[in-house]
Amino acid sequence: MSQPVVSPYCTIGPFFPFDFVDDCNDLTQFEERKAAGQHIWLAGTVVEEGNIPTGNTLLELWQPDARGVFRHPLDPRHSEIDPGFFGWGRARTDAKGFYRFRTVLPGPSREVDGTPRCAHGNMTVLAIGLTRRLVTTIFFSESPETAEDLVLRSLPDPSRRQRLFARRDEALDAGGLPGYRFDIVLRGDGETPFFVD
Amino acid sequence: MGQLMNVSGRVTDEDGAPIAGALIEVWQANASGKYIHQWDRHQAPLDPNFIGQGRILTDAEGCYRFRTIKPGGYPVAESDWWWRPPHIHYSIFGVSWMDRFITQIFFPGEPLNQTDLLLNGIPNAEARQRVMFEPQPTQVTKDLNILEFHRDFVLRGRRRTPELP
Repeated sequence: MSQPVVSPYCTIGPFFPFDFVDDCNDLTQFEERKAAGQHIWLAGTVVEEGNIPTGNTLLELWQPDARGVFRHPLDPRHSEIDPGFFGWGRARTDAKGFYRFRTVLPGPSREVDGTPRCAHGNMTVLAIGLTRRLVTTIFFSESPETAEDLVLRSLPDPSRRQRLFARRDEALDAGGLPGYRFDIVLRGDGETPFFVD
Repeated sequence: MGQLMNVSGRVTDEDGAPIAGALIEVWQANASGKYIHQWDRHQAPLDPNFIGQGRILTDAEGCYRFRTIKPGGYPVAESDWWWRPPHIHYSIFGVSWMDRFITQIFFPGEPLNQTDLLLNGIPNAEARQRVMFEPQPTQVTKDLNILEFHRDFVLRGRRRTPELP
């Protein structure tokens, strides 16, 4: 049999069903349990070049629980996963480019090989006009260790590193939960760093 | 309303190992080329009996199967000439976050395939073949007759157990 070749990608287009997205933006409840840790809103806007909001953009959030465990068999501490934390969610931007997730502040995690990672989440951006998905990483607080994180170290320019931090934003507070802002710029000035995955 | 069709196929990794339990999401226009979607402004009718979306998990051999109707083509609202050829959208979750896969699968021989910017954005003819459904032989009977199409997918990643020397 000939060597399998990876299937070609094509854009998600404008018509991804809302039914596959709506009510998927809350990561803090799973199988009737509540996630441990600090619940937060992670919200912001997605814009393209020229600060134009991109509505109807699909975002997928993948992050570890409050103690830093991913819901994945390859996480070295997988058996310790918080049973109330699903670890994955979806949201779409409205006409103003705004999105919002309810999640927890993640804890420091470990790579498959045990390498320590600073507390972070991963975000996928899928939109009309994007042939492939875009992937970026979100950090929640700066500390001496953050500078050593393998993702941040890969960015030599400090101003670009700054774009990977979700910032506390009281304007996003709601329902007693603190809001964190993470804006995404697809192209142009202030472009969000995206990574080859 | 429209032409009934069954779709089947298999999801494997780059070593040809089956990916069991992969979540497949499919969505498509109805036979008139209309999606159930707030952003679809095409003046074609919705079909009250067709939802145009579904989820399937692959079985232990990585195989999937679903029944639908053949989608219609439709004009792109932002363009003054471009029509999308009939196609079905796929989103697949493999075993890891790295395997996240999105594509569109087309029907061979459709006239609109010639001018589609997305299909022809795939750089070579061989790769374009891998986003085409493969029609399967069917036997016409006195019962319900349904077209059969096949499409396999190869996701990124390798996980086959190394063979012993």
